Amino acid sequence: MSALPEVGAEAPVRARTPSALDLFMFSASSWLLHRIHYDTPFTTEHDGHPGLLIHGPLQGVYLVQTAESWLGETARLRSVSYRHLAPAYLGDTLECGGSVTAADDDGVELELWARKPDGTVTTTGKARFETMTTR
Amino acid sequence: MGVITEEARRWAEREYPRFEMQVTGTDIAKFAHATGETNPIHFDREAAIAAGYPDVVAPTLFPYVVRMHASALVPPEQLEADGSPRADVPPLPTRRAMAGETSVEFGERVVAGDVITVQKRLAQMYEKEGRSGPLVFVEMEFTFTNQRGEMVARESFTRIYR
Repeated sequence: MSALPEVGAEAPVRARTPSALDLFMFSASSWLLHRIHYDTPFTTEHDGHPGLLIHGPLQGVYLVQTAESWLGETARLRSVSYRHLAPAYLGDTLECGGSVTAADDDGVELELWARKPDGTVTTTGKARFETMTTR
Repeated sequence: MGVITEEARRWAEREYPRFEMQVTGTDIAKFAHATGETNPIHFDREAAIAAGYPDVVAPTLFPYVVRMHASALVPPEQLEADGSPRADVPPLPTRRAMAGETSVEFGERVVAGDVITVQKRLAQMYEKEGRSGPLVFVEMEFTFTNQRGEMVARESFTRIYR
């Protein structure tokens, strides 16, 4: 009965290229005050980065959105975990995708990732979605 | 051996104050637009009601916003030069902090008008020898509940200090 995808099915890849404005809005709306996300001179001169960093939690949101926009209203996110493998900087494009690794009567498990066009994976994650039976 | 001193352990194991955030539709809409959400249930009250919710619904990872306010909504003199809250800086001989794994379990959804309480506690703290010196792992657990006492989310977040 469930309209959920089968094991091996892949989510459409969503490419995200957050602008300086997007980075600032994420910092402001979540009250994440760390300067490496909006203060370029501090980030490059003091901290030695090539540019502003794309927030790890914003990449976590991108992974979740990739799965949610694919599965639509048929399932609800029950749990997600993610970790960062490489930094992502302002100007980088993050191709976000995922696939189903397991399926049962109640839902599916996905692996999710964000990677740069050169193949560098910046964030990987796992998520479990369950079908909406009541609401 | 070991960089985790008694002082560092007391710092991590201390009791953390509960933090309460009255979540408005504006808070939710800001986070939704900042993350490029296109579903109007996150910023249009009528669309949310039409979808069966009492008011604007928060994007799934919104509890993160509550825990950031819990730690960073302090007078500016309580912030470090890099913008991080001084209370979050451990008494360790390390220089840099990196985000480790984040893991979140979800319960009830957050809707505009909710009062979300977050309680933080130390889950575990341990060290490993890295290639360039000691690495200290501090795993914190955050429990989010709404005004009815229902679990909204439980998050575990590890910070790595080196």
